[in-house]
Amino acid sequence: MRDFVKSTKFKVLLGFLAFLIGIMVYSVTKGGYSLSGVSLFNTVSKPFRTVSNSISRNMEGTLDRLAHSDEYYEENQRLKEEIGELNRRLTEYEALKTEVEELRELVSIKQEHEDFEYTQACSVIGYVTNDPFMAFTIDKGKEEGITPNCPVVTAEGLVGITVEVSDHMTTVRTILSPDLSVAAVSSKNNKDMGIVEGDIPSAEQGITRLIHVDKNNNLKVGDLIVTSGISGLFPKDYSIGKVKSVSRDSNGLSDCAVIEPCSDISRLSSVYVITDFTGKREEGNEN
Amino acid sequence: MRIRSTREQRIRGVRSVLRWILYYVVIFLCFLIMTSGTWMKPILLVPAAIAIAVNSGQYSSALTGAVCGFLIDIACGKLTGYNAVLLAFFSIIVSLLYEYYLRNKFVNYIVITAVISYIQCWLDYKFYYEMWEYENVEMIFSQISMKVWAITIIASVFVYLVIELINRFFLPKDHITIEEAVNTAIRSERK
Repeated sequence: MRDFVKSTKFKVLLGFLAFLIGIMVYSVTKGGYSLSGVSLFNTVSKPFRTVSNSISRNMEGTLDRLAHSDEYYEENQRLKEEIGELNRRLTEYEALKTEVEELRELVSIKQEHEDFEYTQACSVIGYVTNDPFMAFTIDKGKEEGITPNCPVVTAEGLVGITVEVSDHMTTVRTILSPDLSVAAVSSKNNKDMGIVEGDIPSAEQGITRLIHVDKNNNLKVGDLIVTSGISGLFPKDYSIGKVKSVSRDSNGLSDCAVIEPCSDISRLSSVYVITDFTGKREEGNEN
Repeated sequence: MRIRSTREQRIRGVRSVLRWILYYVVIFLCFLIMTSGTWMKPILLVPAAIAIAVNSGQYSSALTGAVCGFLIDIACGKLTGYNAVLLAFFSIIVSLLYEYYLRNKFVNYIVITAVISYIQCWLDYKFYYEMWEYENVEMIFSQISMKVWAITIIASVFVYLVIELINRFFLPKDHITIEEAVNTAIRSERK
């Protein structure tokens, strides 16, 4: 062993480790963009990852069905009863009315946000391995005009923000993460403001929190929370989630609301990235 | 007296190339498994790098460790190079340990895998969660880091078996036995 420490091999290996540390330091300075090698690897491995992910999801689905067959059977029975009840209540007219209302809502969103520039629908390639905050990767990147810090949304609401952009892949940090803070406001009165920011216990349940809310607020269960657009990172008035409960914050100085995101972040299959909108800030970071 | 023919040397070279191709196929498969699905998954590339380092020299161990580390960084969304440095370092250590002190036994492998994957999980927890003082951060350690560590150790058994299978067919023997040398000598004398 002593001979090894004195050998040239030892010096070469030390140099190799120093080179790796150099790469690590260099990647810090890239400001959200992947190293070209990583970007190339992501591009090459994307089709394999897409295929293996679809296989894995199918396997997970099958195993899940096998493992929870009793629960699903009970749930199925319950749902059948509920469907019967609903069928009795609903008329064809009511169903049509709902459909028309949904379509109107979609059209109004498009009309309301004419200034938004969306990417094409981005498929979720997979979730970041063992990330407690459900960060995920999508199949669009720099080539499709995505840059770091672009809002990521679904038709239902805000999902997160882009953090690491490769040529054809992007990593998205979700609103469940404590590293992402979104200025938000209640859509009901535009007065009850706060910061949407995840924490560890909430992320486990797929929910997030609205913190630093004034103690004299009028928040109620079911209120819709939307982006305030103050920072310039997120467009104004985009749905985030609904209030599940309101309580006093641990510091006693403000209130805190539990928010159920409009989108089920643990089961996303496709999302949109807003690459541009009126009031967008070019530089800076809200989180 | 020649105890190894040129043809044998050629076969040995081809076997070695095939062995490394298969190692990297296994590494890529481990990466794909790690990046698929939504469930909690083992960090398969840690036991893979260790299992490869067991039978490799320091240079190849360092390089393979670095590759596995880069892939972990991509799969887990970590700073590029962070796990590469860690795994390259540990792979060199493992290679040296096996060269000077340890025998190629399963028990040694599993103990080393347990220690290194624990250090990897612990450092990951320290640098990516605890350092940033999130609320209830200890939940991450108990409910994610420790579970990942446990399933990594379990999964390492399968990784070991796969790597051993490759070694059985493609790892060239470093030394020939006296019996083999005698037989080769007899054959060459007959010719």
